[in-house]
Amino acid sequence: MTILSLKSSENFLKNKSEFIFLIGSSLTSLGILLVTVGGSWDITNHLLSKPETFFSPPHAFMYSGVAVSLIGVILTFIGWKNLEKFKNSYFLSFKIKLIGIGLLTGAGPLDFIWHSYFGLDGLLSPPHFTLIIGMFFCSIGGMIGISRYLKFNNSQSISKYLLILAVIPVWLSASGIISSLSLPFSSTDFFEFNPEPTIAFIVASLAYPFLISLSLTLIFRLSNYQFGITSILGGLFLLIYSSTAIVPNLAMFDTVQFYSLNFIPFVIADIFLKLNRSKFSMFFIGGLLGSVFYMVYYPYVMYTYNEILLGKLVSPSLIYFVYFELIQTVLLYTLIPAVIMGVLGVIFSEKLAKRILMN
Amino acid sequence: MKKFLIYLSSFVILFLYFVLSVFILPSEFLMTDQLVPEPVFEATLSKTDIVLGDSFRLDIISENTGDYADIHIVSIGFPTLSKLDDVVKIATYDFSLSPSYISVGEEIGSNYSGGVETTFAQYPSIEAISRPLKSNIETHFDVVITPKTSGVFNVYVKSIGIPHTSDVSHYPYSGTLDHQNEHVLVYSVTVNP
Repeated sequence: MTILSLKSSENFLKNKSEFIFLIGSSLTSLGILLVTVGGSWDITNHLLSKPETFFSPPHAFMYSGVAVSLIGVILTFIGWKNLEKFKNSYFLSFKIKLIGIGLLTGAGPLDFIWHSYFGLDGLLSPPHFTLIIGMFFCSIGGMIGISRYLKFNNSQSISKYLLILAVIPVWLSASGIISSLSLPFSSTDFFEFNPEPTIAFIVASLAYPFLISLSLTLIFRLSNYQFGITSILGGLFLLIYSSTAIVPNLAMFDTVQFYSLNFIPFVIADIFLKLNRSKFSMFFIGGLLGSVFYMVYYPYVMYTYNEILLGKLVSPSLIYFVYFELIQTVLLYTLIPAVIMGVLGVIFSEKLAKRILMN
Repeated sequence: MKKFLIYLSSFVILFLYFVLSVFILPSEFLMTDQLVPEPVFEATLSKTDIVLGDSFRLDIISENTGDYADIHIVSIGFPTLSKLDDVVKIATYDFSLSPSYISVGEEIGSNYSGGVETTFAQYPSIEAISRPLKSNIETHFDVVITPKTSGVFNVYVKSIGIPHTSDVSHYPYSGTLDHQNEHVLVYSVTVNP
């Protein structure tokens, strides 16, 4: 009886291994999504100096996200180990996730030690950067796993929407890396980790446009040119960002209407992609998506530009005043490089999609 | 023809998006009123004349009578001291953040700029900080001072609200200027040998 049940569970694992791998990849991505949402919310709470305890809602998101990712990587391993076909093709996803989860879980004790020695830390610190890089790796691993599963199984259009769960954590965690390297939120009593203002200016002006364009055109390619998926991904990004960075600050609540306008370029990009997928059209869309980065990354991107262009003290109720004071000057300086980086994002997304889908 | 109309309407919508996002809405938001916090305080000395070795108490009740303040600061400076040592002890403190101790030579903000313009501290001080402070909420900051030398012992007290959007966003509005080029009220106690 015991041997029989063992054999049947072995058969189950073998039959369902690829599906278990997909569940593992999806949970890894979902976990990172929770961590990034909690992280963005936590930054807002720190800026507003809201009383912080370990049991705050942003922390609950972050820690449950790590747990979900960990379960995801374990399921990925179980699924991968029992795979009978595509084992090599899925190995890259598993390997990247394993590195990511190692960094992610290792960052916790490192952060505890860091806090014990140096007190409060800023946005950029060795443990935080380890955490963000771990998140990025996990999300990349999850994205590759989900994309390959959908390709190998010729998934129908409805299951392609799973790609949104695959790409959004990559976009958000990569945004976290760029923010760490460009926002002036990392000065503490012990260390001055604030990026040099000119370098921060350059990093933000080049990396954000590239990332928006890359994320939105990549999902379009991974989904085999599914209409609507770009708009949904863009809309979800705006929803997450507005609910974690704008809504919690009552002084900025009215600016949600300004921020929601950013859905327009995403929808238009989607329509253009449906109508014409020529190189010129793709480049135009990349340039368009790159050009709106200052609006899409409202409000915190302002801190980077304020450092070098105004140097004002920005308390929470002044955030949007300084942001709007800067908007035209920032676009004047950054529009052309942002458009170029948007175009580069399109080119890179083509190469990346080919690598992911093994075309 | 249908494709052309879709393109045309898309470009019109994009044009409107950029005009609204870059020109119209920013101007609208910049025209809205900024918050004007109005910090005030009442400070009371327990004694104005003491014998060397005795202590006196300075009780400060501060309040924000204006709009919501992102940051509310009450600062006590000791121009006759070079170090706080055990001369000054905090007796009551109900601000939301821990007190900040400033030593001589430390780089500090000046001219109500909130740190954009800076200078170096010429004497020690303690800053009590609440982030944020709603209107009409009282905060308390009381210190017990035991001077170590005889003579006149001065204490500088001021309060600042951030955003510092008006001349009423600091208190007092005029009078003696301190090392930060900011107005203070001076409280003096004679310490007899």
